Amino acid sequence: MRGNIAAAAAGSTDLGLSLTQQLTVIVLCALTAFISHLALAVFNDGVRPFMLDFIQGRTTRSATTAVSFGLSAGFIFGLGAPMALSTGVLNPWLLFLPTDILGILSPKKWLAPVLGAAWGAVVVFGLNGANSLAHDLPVDFLTAMQQMSTPILFLFTLFPVLAISKQFGKLRGGIAGLVELALVVATMKLWPGIFAGAIAMAVGVLMLIAFAVAKDLRQRRKERAEQAGRADGPAEDASGGDDPMASLFSTSATRLRKHLPLFMVLGAGVCLLAQMHIFGGGEATSFLVAKGDYSGAAQVDFYRVFGFVPLIATTALASGAYGIAGFTLVYPIGYLLPNPWLALICGALVFAVEVLALSWIGRILGRLPSVRDSSEHLRSAISDSLQLAILFGSLMAANAMGGGLGILIVGGLYLLNEAMGRVVVRMAAAPAAVIVGGVILNLLYWLDLFTPVKG
Amino acid sequence: MTKILTGGVGKLEVAETVQKLALDGVDVAVSSDMDAAMKLRAGQADYYLGTCHTGAGASLGVLLGLMGSAACHTFGRSVPTEDEVSALIGAGKKVFGFGMDKIDTVAPVLARAIAAHDA
Repeated sequence: MRGNIAAAAAGSTDLGLSLTQQLTVIVLCALTAFISHLALAVFNDGVRPFMLDFIQGRTTRSATTAVSFGLSAGFIFGLGAPMALSTGVLNPWLLFLPTDILGILSPKKWLAPVLGAAWGAVVVFGLNGANSLAHDLPVDFLTAMQQMSTPILFLFTLFPVLAISKQFGKLRGGIAGLVELALVVATMKLWPGIFAGAIAMAVGVLMLIAFAVAKDLRQRRKERAEQAGRADGPAEDASGGDDPMASLFSTSATRLRKHLPLFMVLGAGVCLLAQMHIFGGGEATSFLVAKGDYSGAAQVDFYRVFGFVPLIATTALASGAYGIAGFTLVYPIGYLLPNPWLALICGALVFAVEVLALSWIGRILGRLPSVRDSSEHLRSAISDSLQLAILFGSLMAANAMGGGLGILIVGGLYLLNEAMGRVVVRMAAAPAAVIVGGVILNLLYWLDLFTPVKG
Repeated sequence: MTKILTGGVGKLEVAETVQKLALDGVDVAVSSDMDAAMKLRAGQADYYLGTCHTGAGASLGVLLGLMGSAACHTFGRSVPTEDEVSALIGAGKKVFGFGMDKIDTVAPVLARAIAAHDA
């Protein structure tokens, strides 16, 4: 049932995992559960702030487990599982949120890696089975899902424009939009070999950062001038030099630095997983990895990093627990590296640099409120553009599977989820609808009520 | 005047939602977790509403570390009732985190409860 037979039959689109890949996933899950048990890192950015009380002994293991479960469950079943089932590619929500929970849950140190490994095994075998099953069905939703990559790549290209509009207003947003559009057209004409949005995205992100840094520098100059004018200046500037924050941050940074070797092993593992091309780190990356577009995946996840560095740095410095994937920079590096050994080395080095630079990054961020602001606008812009792209891509997949009937079922399920108060996270609702739609269409085919669009 | 600060990924939308309610005695401003932590500690603001994907990470951020868990509460991605919020405010909570895809439902509940409590 798992792997071999289906792999031979389905050919290149099958994502059945090799033995080495399966073992890598299992060992990595054991490691992440162990690290979560030690409260050294958790994947869920929402759980991280709560780790402070746990580390300082002000709360119990079971209370922290409850927090972790409460904040993660929706993302495991509402985002990680549907994404994995609809792409056949692993993702961090499916792997690392459960290991967060299992690690914190384990009362004994040895139990954490055992439970983590067990979860890794469940995922590997479950996904392999589900994959081969899905490809054998008359209506193949995994192949239909490849429709997703064009809307994702092209709409994602626009995310810096959205962020600039939100943070710096219509005029600059409009200019950024025109610049990006011109660059996309120019890239298509001049360098047809590379992704049309590559240059536009880079320029857009640089524009956003330039606007933010310029604003902060202006603001600081103004404040300095004001403070020189009158002694009792407004306490507007909450700089990183403030006492309680500085001492909290430095305690955390010191705690994390003490465990540098373990973090290097973790970085090596996550980078290796990305290098194997069985894993997509970002919300939309799985679709690109599933299609084999690794340079597209690397670009999307690279720019995504800008939105997450301040979040991960501040939550890590405020809590003393780091991120399982660090600043997530190891994802794009992993996708692009040519061999696993290089991935292990690069992953370890990247994590070492990240952990060592953490308190410095915190200080810089304290001084650049607009840059922190930008990162929040970036993440919000990423969700906005991806939401539309994933919804549109899902409807295209529905169309590929079952024409109008497919669109009716998938679109209808999406709208139903909205009407019911978003049981499934919005980002994953449409792909989940494609899976359900695929199952329904297969049932209809089996009942002789539906003929697949493509043979 | 009760001063509410917003932060996190959906801070613009939250501020907009609260502003639209035009509640008496409630002033809302867009902020960020670090600035808000400082202002709440200094008494320059009363409440903080944070949003992110989980309802707790970017939304609470450094606030949990600097304000202590006694002052912070996250609804995750769930939607509370006004009574629940009132009870939490009564218990001394000042910092609330919630999921960014629930802004349209959670932000008004929070703002109304805050307005009712401080009226």
